[in-house]
Amino acid sequence: MVQSILDAISLGGLYSLAALGLGLVFGVMRLVNFAHAELITIAAYTLVLTAQFPLAVSLIFTVIVTVFVALLMEFSVYRRLRGVNPAIMLIASFGLSTVLQRVYELMFGALPRSAVVAPFLRGDFKVAGLSITISSIITIVLTIVILLAMGYLIEKTSLGLQLRAASADFKTARLLGVRSNRLISAAFGLSGVLAACVALILVIQNPQISPYYGLNITILSLVGIVIGGIASLRGAALGGFIVGVVLSALNTLLGNGRVYAYSWLFILVLVILLVRPGGLLSKGSELERV
Amino acid sequence: MKHGGVTKFSIQNLLGPIIVLILLTHFVGSASTSLQLITQFALCLFVMVLALQVFVGNSGVLSFGHGAFALIGSYVSAMLTAPVNIKDNALSMNQLWEPLVSPQTNIYVALLISAAVSAVIAAITGVFLMRLNGLAAGIATFALLGVAYNVFFNNKKIGPGSQALPGVPLIENNWILLLLAVISLILVYFINISKIGRTLRATREDPMAAPALGISIFKVRLIAFILSGAIAGLAGGMYSHVAGTFQVQDYYLEFTFITLSMLIVGGSASIWGALVGTFIITAVGQILLMMEQDLPVFGIQVQIPLGSRAVIIALTFVAMLLWRSSGVTNGKEFTIPKLKRRN
Repeated sequence: MVQSILDAISLGGLYSLAALGLGLVFGVMRLVNFAHAELITIAAYTLVLTAQFPLAVSLIFTVIVTVFVALLMEFSVYRRLRGVNPAIMLIASFGLSTVLQRVYELMFGALPRSAVVAPFLRGDFKVAGLSITISSIITIVLTIVILLAMGYLIEKTSLGLQLRAASADFKTARLLGVRSNRLISAAFGLSGVLAACVALILVIQNPQISPYYGLNITILSLVGIVIGGIASLRGAALGGFIVGVVLSALNTLLGNGRVYAYSWLFILVLVILLVRPGGLLSKGSELERV
Repeated sequence: MKHGGVTKFSIQNLLGPIIVLILLTHFVGSASTSLQLITQFALCLFVMVLALQVFVGNSGVLSFGHGAFALIGSYVSAMLTAPVNIKDNALSMNQLWEPLVSPQTNIYVALLISAAVSAVIAAITGVFLMRLNGLAAGIATFALLGVAYNVFFNNKKIGPGSQALPGVPLIENNWILLLLAVISLILVYFINISKIGRTLRATREDPMAAPALGISIFKVRLIAFILSGAIAGLAGGMYSHVAGTFQVQDYYLEFTFITLSMLIVGGSASIWGALVGTFIITAVGQILLMMEQDLPVFGIQVQIPLGSRAVIIALTFVAMLLWRSSGVTNGKEFTIPKLKRRN
């Protein structure tokens, strides 16, 4: 029971990190970045392929590679699509996601690559007669640290202020002197860092990396940011958290029916969207021109 | 995805694509056995792209959910036509629900039923989905695809689950598939120039002004969603009769991506765009496949590494969006180029 609750919280935290990465980019350029999945995937590959080095070295290397790929996406594709209809950008990111999947397949092969990453984080320990997995505790601690750091960054720093301003009204923010190119690059870079964090947690739990590794969590986090409220970063994080918790709860409660957990989750999402089309944290309705 | 779309009936807009389609089927489809099969698959995909065109092209709302209708259409048509003993054998170990084993009809009745069933599912889900706007709608249609895939992949009482259902009777005659494609094309053309098509494009161009003119966005989108769901169901049904099997995995992300890229590459605002896009993506895919296998293409032999085909197709798609986001046809219908006389 305790373990289930911890699992639910850690899954929620993980999904909120992924959702936050998506939300950052969405906020500044109205882009639903499907290819975020491939950032998580490349981070996971890097972690596994550099597993023979000390964890710190491997981590730094992973963050560098992931941020590089994130910036590459922005410079090569998204920068040229700025100001285009959001639906076109969404579909472009879908295309980019496919491109990267195929490239990974060419580079790393279609079969899963695996290695033991951070073996000391596996296994479980006992507290008051309860057996608790280390990875769930680590996930929760990591998530809290990262969320606090992101919270500080977004609430207290100048970059965060610019990000929030740009999320609220990009045009006005530019008029007030926010440098759009730099800000958008920063958002992509940060989303790359978050993707690397998500990959680290995922790899500890499941070190079998295939070209589609990041797809599942990204799709579910996308669903999360939609129910949380697509326009705000808090909404994104909250939505991701809800999706993670609900999914974990469904997996526990459904028993043998757990293969249908996704269906129930999606149906729940549809119901939430019908009641609150703008998401849980939205203020009033707003028509988007899509 | 904006602008474009015809409002007045024009014989060349309608006949142009039909003639091109007939010529392509005639010349490409009879060239070799492998080209015949490719033509048959392309005709199915073309019907699917037409379905997407009706909804996505006219309303401007992205739908990732049409794969679900193709999946359902394919499922219905395959289950209604596969021989009883195959269903019995292949599925008995999977505890198939008893009443599903015996029903049997001929292919054409089955295709009609699959279109009808898909339309009903589109109507039921559309009532919910079409209340949403913008990106939320796009993501929610994704949920539809997710649910359909999840249920059909895991539930062995209603179908083959993760396995393939073999023995689905083939439509071997190109002309029958062509006829079905032409019927769909004519249907879509008349939907596009009808009041539904025009009001739908009005909601795409300006979602604020359209309701002010008395248009119910919900209603027109729902009607278009049902019609396009029916056509997608037909496309899925045709696909199962060309492939000879029904397999859930055939209608998931890759299918969605390929058909959406056909729509966008050709130009989502027109039927001509749907045809051009289907042709380009199929042709490029085929040429690259031949290169991968080191076969000569038009007498020239170029070898590319195995697996690079998919990368190149996806890259072409992204490059297309960067170059011209309204597609090759720029949203225009087929017209005969006029020779202008200079004075």
